[in-house]
Amino acid sequence: MVLDNKDTRNIWEKIGDFFSANSIWMKWYCTGCGAIEMPPTMTSRFDMERLGMGPMATPRQADVLLITGYLSTKTLRRVIYSYEQMNSPRYVVGFGSCTINGGIYYDSYATINQLDKYLPVDLYIAGCMPRPEAIMNGFNTLIEMIKKGEANGWRHYQENYDWYKKNQLESLGEVIIHDEFHE
Amino acid sequence: MGALNFLYAFLMLLLVFIFQTTLTGLNRKVTARLQKRYGARWYQQFLDIFKALRKDSTSHGWVFDFGVIMALGGIMATVTFIPVAGFRAFPGTDNVFVISYLLAVGMLGMAMSAAGSGNPWASIGVGRALTNMLAYDIPLMVVIFTMIFAFDSASVGQLAEMQQGMGILGWNFFRMPLGGIVAVIALLGMLGKKPFDSFIAPAEIASGPMVEYGGKHLGFMFILHEFMTFIEVSLIINLFFGGGATIWEYMLKYAILYTFTNIISGVMPRFKIDQAVKYFYRVPLAMAIIQGLVVIFTGLGVTIWF
Amino acid sequence: MMNSMNKLIDEIRVTLKPLEILVPADRQIACIVEPGEVHRALAYLKSSGFAQLSILTCVDWIEDGEFELVYILMNWNEGIHVQLRARIDRNEPVFNTITHIYPGARYYEREVHEFFGIEFKGNEDSYKPLFLERWDAIPPLRKDFDPQAYSDSKFPMRDRDRVFKSRIGGTEDERS
Repeated sequence: MVLDNKDTRNIWEKIGDFFSANSIWMKWYCTGCGAIEMPPTMTSRFDMERLGMGPMATPRQADVLLITGYLSTKTLRRVIYSYEQMNSPRYVVGFGSCTINGGIYYDSYATINQLDKYLPVDLYIAGCMPRPEAIMNGFNTLIEMIKKGEANGWRHYQENYDWYKKNQLESLGEVIIHDEFHE
Repeated sequence: MGALNFLYAFLMLLLVFIFQTTLTGLNRKVTARLQKRYGARWYQQFLDIFKALRKDSTSHGWVFDFGVIMALGGIMATVTFIPVAGFRAFPGTDNVFVISYLLAVGMLGMAMSAAGSGNPWASIGVGRALTNMLAYDIPLMVVIFTMIFAFDSASVGQLAEMQQGMGILGWNFFRMPLGGIVAVIALLGMLGKKPFDSFIAPAEIASGPMVEYGGKHLGFMFILHEFMTFIEVSLIINLFFGGGATIWEYMLKYAILYTFTNIISGVMPRFKIDQAVKYFYRVPLAMAIIQGLVVIFTGLGVTIWF
Repeated sequence: MMNSMNKLIDEIRVTLKPLEILVPADRQIACIVEPGEVHRALAYLKSSGFAQLSILTCVDWIEDGEFELVYILMNWNEGIHVQLRARIDRNEPVFNTITHIYPGARYYEREVHEFFGIEFKGNEDSYKPLFLERWDAIPPLRKDFDPQAYSDSKFPMRDRDRVFKSRIGGTEDERS
């Protein structure tokens, strides 16, 4: 199930990817400590608006779901709802070592270890936490990947939905929770 | 009114879109410079709109979809009725009342669509947007009625032409200074600039009416917003700043006024909606009524008075 | 202020007859009592100004075979905390509710039940899950719970089926 990165896009998709690459709206899912790295990236020192990136208020409006740090099983359920509310093409960026292999929470009973089993991660930014320089570098990479048509995670999610759903259900039991706090 | 008028209207819509979107992009740079940032590219707003139009989008029923089209249609029709530097796509239709009623079609389309999404934040946002409209409209309407009374005309184009040829002091902004200030404050409210932007507060109510829009719907809303901005700024330019003898003069005035509202917006915090209403009903309404009384009982401002 | 602390310690010693009284830090009193005395002690402390139950928590002393319930109370007039500690049998983790003294304990008891498995008789809510959605193992804060084994079984490592290009600076190589 290795991702096929052959460029099979037609001219309209290439133009569309050019626009997508230069206008990245992000939904910050501030789950962990990484959220605090975003304000310096946004403000005058690093100024991510130069690259056309900006925060958006809701998942519907956003292109990139930014997972900033560890995810508890409880949070992962909400992240999956948010991801499924987004419109394609959509990208997921995992932040810091907690999303890669669990980080310092590798043996926690409440946090998941590897995000890309549950959601199609396009790009990981390593670090604990990654500094704004690393974030800017990471987003430059994402922009290049979108331009070349390599950021195909959303397509991978559509094509391998059963595999992702199986992993989600194995770890979470059920994605949409039914208890006294949720109708 | 022949086929040529419709060609003019189409060209006007195209040029307005390009002009206003470029200006919005430049103003993002102005805001960034206020915050000591470098800022987005000047064509960033075009990229954003075309990116949004490129994406898939989610529908929430036909009210949601139809409202977007109705709003965009209503607003685009209104744009073609705005006189720009003596040019009118459809001559004789630039009455203040026609424009304000047509504008309401667009506003109601937006409200209907947002409420049709079923999201509670959208309903709160629409409620706040309409409350905000109620707040700024009353002082502004008092001033505009005063002007219609003073000059015996409700045509936006004619009101603009009456101010021309007498230099800068012929503008209604200087003939009726209190009313002019009220109009600029109301413009901030109309454009949803800070401090009157509580209906789109992103962190508080998740961007209010826009909360469920994504992809193509959001792209249409962005285009709609550009047209709406053009209508609102153009009304104030025509009524208070003498329109323009040439198209270049008009565009220059337009750019300066729009950038001014953005600079104000860049340094202001946000009013809560009840504070905004209280503010509009206190200071600007009092100023508007004083201006009306001055014009009606003394005639100052109808002729040049200094 | 030391005077009021000493006065309070003396009062507690006379009234509650605790097993032991400690002063772990400035303006804090730890008071160890028999489990049967807890309700009387709480009622007394509440009537003498400790209006707030800051937290109810638990410690698992697995070698002693005991759970230690810790009730932390706060007096807003004096600024003094009192910890009331009582040990119960680990093999029979049942205790009586204190919701009739401090109604806010309803959710604390629910939390302790969820994380340590202690049952609180008289609090019907305490059996319901609170934080952990769909928990399916022994209560996780017991010392005999193995988080590593649980994590391995529940969140297994990826089976290496996606290729990520790693990129440091300008260089690029593929690992799988």
